[in-house]
Amino acid sequence: MSATEASGRVERASRWIYLGLWSVLVLWFRVPDRPPALPVPPGETLDAFRPAEGFLHYLKFKFWVVLTIMDGMILIGWIATAAASPLAGAILALPALAIAVLPGIVAYIAIHLQYDTTWYVMSGRSLRIRRGIWTIHETTITFENVQNVEVNQGPVQRWFGIADVHVDTAGGGGKQAAAGHGSPATAGHRGLVEGVADAARIRDLILSRLHGSRHAGLGDEHPPASTIAGWTPDHVAVLRKIRDLARALAETNL
Amino acid sequence: MSDSTTSTGGFDPLTITRPDKALMWYYLIVSLLTGPGVFVAILPLFFKYETLRYRFDGEGVSMSWGILFRREIYLTYRRIQDIHLTRNLLQRWLGQATVSIQTASGSSSPEMAIEGVLAADALRDFLYAKMRGARDHAPHEQGSGGPAEPRGDEALGLLRDIRDALGQLAARRGAAE
Repeated sequence: MSATEASGRVERASRWIYLGLWSVLVLWFRVPDRPPALPVPPGETLDAFRPAEGFLHYLKFKFWVVLTIMDGMILIGWIATAAASPLAGAILALPALAIAVLPGIVAYIAIHLQYDTTWYVMSGRSLRIRRGIWTIHETTITFENVQNVEVNQGPVQRWFGIADVHVDTAGGGGKQAAAGHGSPATAGHRGLVEGVADAARIRDLILSRLHGSRHAGLGDEHPPASTIAGWTPDHVAVLRKIRDLARALAETNL
Repeated sequence: MSDSTTSTGGFDPLTITRPDKALMWYYLIVSLLTGPGVFVAILPLFFKYETLRYRFDGEGVSMSWGILFRREIYLTYRRIQDIHLTRNLLQRWLGQATVSIQTASGSSSPEMAIEGVLAADALRDFLYAKMRGARDHAPHEQGSGGPAEPRGDEALGLLRDIRDALGQLAARRGAAE
């Protein structure tokens, strides 16, 4: 009985600590606590979502795997040192423990923060992705400009029921940036919708927009005929003037 | 939270020519953070700030800077592929942002990084409304005092009127000759 009570207490305490950390981030580090907005016409709703719950489990799984390997190496190193010289082993015991545990705690909190600061917002026409804690990066892509959509799922991701959707626009360079020092999440010409459970739905939604468009997605200068509503007030003003001139001409006696 | 302000009320990007003074503060702090390299770091940033010019027009935006090596970039709104809005911690504290624009060129780094515009969200909404695929999409983007965007029907009606008037004119000329 008391064990479950204690674990419940620990869980509540960690939630409070996390909420406190979160409010420090919001207040002092100006991390937005709301999903990003996108301009939408009235009547249309925004679809704002986060990565699926499975993504959090997936990140934690990766975390535990890496932590086990790292701590195993530290433990082996420490045992070897202690076997060679018990004094050095005794001195190094605390630092080794700190190196084994502290980065893990930071990384574990960072995983939760990464999960909570990642937002995907879709309107009928575009996609906006926000991610990051220190540097907050927001990418906006209209579906008209999308060249291809790629769904990637590794075996571990399949186990957790998630997949990554890559939304590529023309220009490329994203892969080179990912191979180099740049993070794939913020590389150009690519939107990365990471860790979603309904990747097929997102892909189909984007592809249906793509099929509806008859353009190459390279920023065509001439709008299609269907966007006649693209007349600006200036156009209409000039048209009015021409109409008045034509009417005046038509009404004058020759 | 400024990120939820999507209205462009009172914001007219066409009047922007210079970055805000706050950008120099940002550059100053960034170069101070380099420690001993502060004097090396601040010079190019200072000259960039001093020479930075923006010009937004109806079709595109140009940006130029440089004192020894001058650069000028021009791109049209309709060629924009993606818009990135980036805020690091320092920029958030100073209320700034970098709006990066990418076209379909080969490099993965942005073609234009607009710094020093304080109304970064409004600027992004402006660019978003102008980029391809967002047309007839943001009805409030013409919020700079102009009337609501007329519908296509009105333009069509005007064109019909012109056609009729010209037809009438042609008929009368034909009758007179």
